[in-house]
Amino acid sequence: MAKRSTEEVGVNMTPMIDIVFQLIIFFVVTVELDRQAFDETIVLARSPHGPTVEKRDPRTVYVEVHEDGTISIARNRLSEARLVTVLTQARIAGRQDTPVHIRAHQSTRHEFVRRAMQAAGKAGLYRVSFVALKEKAPSN
Amino acid sequence: MADFRKRRKSEESGEISMTPMIDVVFQLLIYFVLTIRPVDVFAHLDVFSPSAKPQESETPPPPMIKIEIFPGGVLINGSGVDMTGLAKILGQLGALNPKQTVMILCSIDSRHRELVEVLDLCARSKLTNISVGSMN
Repeated sequence: MAKRSTEEVGVNMTPMIDIVFQLIIFFVVTVELDRQAFDETIVLARSPHGPTVEKRDPRTVYVEVHEDGTISIARNRLSEARLVTVLTQARIAGRQDTPVHIRAHQSTRHEFVRRAMQAAGKAGLYRVSFVALKEKAPSN
Repeated sequence: MADFRKRRKSEESGEISMTPMIDVVFQLLIYFVLTIRPVDVFAHLDVFSPSAKPQESETPPPPMIKIEIFPGGVLINGSGVDMTGLAKILGQLGALNPKQTVMILCSIDSRHRELVEVLDLCARSKLTNISVGSMN
């Protein structure tokens, strides 16, 4: 019996290849394509009790405030005046209740966050939210 | 003639070499396994930013919680507290009236983390009427 099994050299690869293909299809489908839109260098502050938003408003403008105070939208650095222009255009394209989400680095001075808030105010957008990570236990 | 025989032999075997395909598939699999990251859950902390336009004559209810954030310290209605103290006070105030206005004033050199911590405590206490302003 044992002799017979050692004689069979070829392993049937078909089930393994099937599973591997299934895994690849799973990863290809679930990979997030819009993740590149956000800057990964921004470390968000944590807010374990903050409300999550299930429905995303498609008009939402994400303003990113970096640790050094530079402001960007979708990885494009903007001056304050340009930010006001962009937000004003967003208000004209959407409505006054177009949401502005501020993604600020946790160590950013409030001075810089205030600039983004003021720009939203100047552009006439008042629905301002801060984005935080819904996680407990800060790692640093 | 020898070539012909060789070709004929390989055709007869009727099998495609799977090894390179399996190699590539494994490479892809390893790439996706390594690069996949669980999706972060974001919390959205809504605030009212001060607007230039005067609001409609809707006067806010008189009891207003005023929180001032300084680098490394927080004042609530003028008295200094730490984060656990603030959580306790906000919990009591939120239980009394969750609709009362919370005005948060940040000093310009305070860190954004501190503001988010205070907003988080407000969210925990079910206080939703929050305004954020700045002070020099």
